[in-house]
Formats: sequence, structure tokens, C-alpha cells
Amino acid sequence: MKKELKIESYVDNLTMVLSFIRDYLKTIDCPTKIQTQIAISVEEIFVNIASYAYYPNSGIVKILIESIRNNSTLEITFIDSGRPFNPLENKDPDISIEAEERPIGGLGILMTKKAMDEVAYDFKEGKNILVLRKIIIK
Amino acid sequence: MKLEAKKNGKQLEVVLSGELNTLTAPELSLLLEKELPGIETLILNFKECDYVSSAGIRVLLSTYKILKAVKGQMMLKDVGENFKEVLENVGLDAVFDMC
Repeated sequence: MKKELKIESYVDNLTMVLSFIRDYLKTIDCPTKIQTQIAISVEEIFVNIASYAYYPNSGIVKILIESIRNNSTLEITFIDSGRPFNPLENKDPDISIEAEERPIGGLGILMTKKAMDEVAYDFKEGKNILVLRKIIIK
Repeated sequence: MKLEAKKNGKQLEVVLSGELNTLTAPELSLLLEKELPGIETLILNFKECDYVSSAGIRVLLSTYKILKAVKGQMMLKDVGENFKEVLENVGLDAVFDMC
């Protein structure tokens, strides 16, 4: 089953984005812990797009969610037509240094990479395409 | 998100209920801005909150820094499984005191 949501890139639309994702997760057999990991990762990516892709304007973000590989894996794709931006390009923040010295940014992408099994980025036909994959049945 | 603040002298406990996300983290930030001056021990109770995104982590990290600068202490209470994992993923599990 594949579901699609087209939504304006406002941070305040996060509530609607998360309801869309959670409604889908309810229809498949997805453990609660994984549901939270997915919701947090979706939040990080959507907020990132909403904050940067079309800034200072807004635009459409297309979100696709689908069970793939015999329903063993969940795939969530974010597509926007904003400026090319690969969030995976930035170096991960150094989390080994003293907490007082730590930069306050960059944690969202790091959290997403750790919580998901795969995070991939592509820029194709003027569009940013970011894909999250999470194995839901081992 | 629901936030309940209980002040006892120089100690402040904030009980969080719901999700600490991009939209709700500013509420915690505002409350702490108002209540934190003069506090030496801050307890953040996560018993009813096991969803913390990076926006929440940022508030915790800046609060930790503010308290540390005045030799105060921030403690996270009743940290759930999901939140614990988030803290581990960003290398803060060994930095923040938990009780």
C-alpha cells in the first residue's frame, strides 16, 4: 500500500504530517518503539525542508509512504522543488567533545541517520528527493 | 504538551506530558526562561513524555549549559526507552544526570 501527502512547507504543518504517518503505521504491524523512531525522523526531515528548502518563501512538499520488500521495510520519500540541499553532506556534529562546547545544531540529521536503516538523498529533475528506510520486521 | 512546574526553594521540578517536538519545545523554553533564575537544581520529569526530537534536545542542552555556568544541576527523571535511545544517539546519555 502506498499513500501520498502533498503539503505546504510550513513548520506548523508538522502535526498534519505526523498524523498522516501515524495513520499509515496503524494499518501495518509496526512496533511502538519503531513508530516513535519513524515519527521523530519524519519530524527532523520535514522541519529541515520547511526551514530551508523554500526559505523565505514556501512551497509544496510531497511525502510518500510505502511498505516495500514484502512488507518488511517501510520507505518514506520526501520530494520538494526548493533549492538543492543534501543534508547528508554536512559532517556529523562532534558528540565526543565536552557538552558545554557542543554546537546546538546538526543533531536532527544525526538522530535520523541513527534511527533509520537507510537515509538516501538525490537531486533529480530540479527536485530534492530524500528517502528514509526502516526495517520493521527482522 | 502539558508542563507542570513545582517549585520548592531552589529546586524546580517540571513534569512533561506529551511530546517534546519542534512545535512544543518553545513552550518548555519559555517556562524555563521564566522559572529558572535562582534555581540550583532542576528536575525534568519525563515519565509521561517519551518522544523527544532534536528541538527538545537543543532546549535541554542550552538549559544544561545555563545551569552548569552557575554551578547548578539538571536531572532527567524517569527517562523512557525511546528518549534514552535518542540521548545515546547524540552522545548525551553520559552527560546528563538521570534519576
